[in-house]
Amino acid sequence: MRKLLAVTLGVLSAVGGFVDIGDLVAASQAGALFGMAHAWVLLVGVVGICAYAEMAGRIAAVSGRAVFDLVRERLGPRVALLNLVASWLVTVVTLAAELGGVALALHLATGLSHLLWVPLAALAVWLVLWRMRFELMERIFGLAGLALLVFAVALVALPTDWSELGRGAWQVGAAGHGWPLYWFVAVALFASTVSPYEVFFFSSGGVEERWSAADLAHARSNVLIGFPVGGFLALSLIAVATVAYHPSGASLGTLEEVARPVATALGGAGLAAAVLAFFAVTFGAALETGLSAAYAAAQYFGWQWGKRVSPREAARFHSVLLVGLLLGVVMLMTTVDPVRLTEYMLVLSAVVLPLTYLPILVVANDRGYLGDRVNGWWTNLLGAVFLLLIVAASVAAIPLAVMTGMGR
Amino acid sequence: MRVQLAKRLLDRQIVDVEGRLVGRVDDIGFAVDDEGYPYVDCLLTGQGALGERIGGRVGRLLVAVADRFTDDPPVPPLRVPLSQVAGVDSAVRLRCRAADLPPSPVESWLRRHVIARIPGSNRASG
Repeated sequence: MRKLLAVTLGVLSAVGGFVDIGDLVAASQAGALFGMAHAWVLLVGVVGICAYAEMAGRIAAVSGRAVFDLVRERLGPRVALLNLVASWLVTVVTLAAELGGVALALHLATGLSHLLWVPLAALAVWLVLWRMRFELMERIFGLAGLALLVFAVALVALPTDWSELGRGAWQVGAAGHGWPLYWFVAVALFASTVSPYEVFFFSSGGVEERWSAADLAHARSNVLIGFPVGGFLALSLIAVATVAYHPSGASLGTLEEVARPVATALGGAGLAAAVLAFFAVTFGAALETGLSAAYAAAQYFGWQWGKRVSPREAARFHSVLLVGLLLGVVMLMTTVDPVRLTEYMLVLSAVVLPLTYLPILVVANDRGYLGDRVNGWWTNLLGAVFLLLIVAASVAAIPLAVMTGMGR
Repeated sequence: MRVQLAKRLLDRQIVDVEGRLVGRVDDIGFAVDDEGYPYVDCLLTGQGALGERIGGRVGRLLVAVADRFTDDPPVPPLRVPLSQVAGVDSAVRLRCRAADLPPSPVESWLRRHVIARIPGSNRASG
C-alpha cells in the first residue's frame, strides 16, 4: 500500500491523460470500430510518454525546474508564447470537457440533467484546488481512478475469446472502415496519450512535492508504474468495447454505451463501479487540466505558483486558474458537446506537440541543469525516435482530419 | 562575472534567497561607464518589459493586459540590480528576499481586488 501511495502522482497524471472523458469515448469507439487494431498505438504512446516524463521528472528533481520553464528558456519568448496560447486553449477546452464528464457521471448516477451539475462540479474542483493539500489530492484521485479496473474485471466475466483478442492486436486492419479513418483514430489516440498537460502536471507536481536529487528513484517509479497503469486502463476500455460491440459492428457515442457491457457482465454493482470510476477519472482529469493550464502560464511569465504558498502570495496563478475554470463552465453552458470539442482540440494539439517535447529532450542533455545525470545514449535514442513519431503525427493530423471529416 | 548573456541570462527564472519566484529575466538593462564601455546594469522583469522585447502587436497586447490590471499604468519593469545576483545556474539566484524588492503591480492588484476577497486566501494548502 505504501508503494502504491508513493506512485499516485504518476497514476493521476496518466489517468488524466489516457482515460479522461475524451478517451473513455474515443478508446471505446476505436474498439467498437476496429477491434484491438489500435492496441499498438497505446503501447507506443506509453513507452514514449514514459521516456519523456522520466526526463521531465529528473529535471524537476535535480534542478527544480518544471516543463514550461524549459519551454520558455529554450524556445525564446515568441515561440514559447505560441506554445503557451495553444497549450492553454487545448488544456482549458479539455478542462471544460472533463467538467462535462463529471456532470455526465453525476447524471448517470442521479438522473438529473447534466447541465444542472456543471456549476456544482466546477465549484467542487475549484474548492479542491483552493484548499486541498497537493499530496492528499493526488492520492485520493489517483487511487479512485483505479476504480476503472472494473473494465478489466468485466472482461474476465464477459465471454471473452482471449486468443481472438490477442490476434486482433497483431493483425492490424481497417475492418472495412478505410485506412484514413484508421489513421485518424490512431493519431487522436496517440495525441491523447502524450497530451502536453501530462508532463506539465507531472513535473510541476514533482516541484510541488519538493523532489530533490535524492528522490530520483521515487520519480522514476512514479513514471514506470503510473503511466503503464494508465495505459492498461485505456487498453481494457478498448478490449471491452471490442468484445461487446465489434462483432456486431455497432458504433457507440455516449458514456452510457461505454458502461453498458460492464453492467451486462457484472450487474448493478458493476454499473455502480463504472459510474464511480467515470466520476473519479473525469474529476481527477479536471484537477490535472485546471492546474496544468495555470502552471504553464505562471511558468512562462515566472510568477510564483503552486499550492505550497498561500493563494494571496500567488495571486496571478490563482487568478489564471479561476479564469480557466469559469471559461470551462461558460463553454459547457452553451450546450456544446464537450466530447466532440476535445476531439477537435486533440487534433490541433497534435500540431504543437513538438514544441513541448523538443525542449525537454534538449535540457535533459544540458549539464548546466543536470550535472552528470544527463541522458544516456539509449534514452536519447528513444527520445529522438519518439520525437520523430510526434512530428509525423503532428504533420499528419490536419490532413487526416480533413480527409475523414473529423472521423465521421 | 563572465556569462553569455542571451544564452545564460535571458528568459531564466529569477529566484530569491528563500526560493520564492520573483519573475523571469524578461530583458537586460545596460549602462555605459565613464570610459564609454557598456555594461550590464540590471535585470528587468515584468510583463511590460517582456511585451516591449517581443514587440509588434503581440507585445503591445501583453503591455496592454498588464496595464489593465494595475492602478496607475504604465507599469514600469522591476529592476533587479546585478549586485543582488548571487549566481546563475538553472535559475538566477538572488542574495535578497523577494519582499525586499518592489512588488509586482499586477500581482498586488489581483491580490487586492480578487484573491484576497475569497475566504481562505491566507492559508497555504500545501
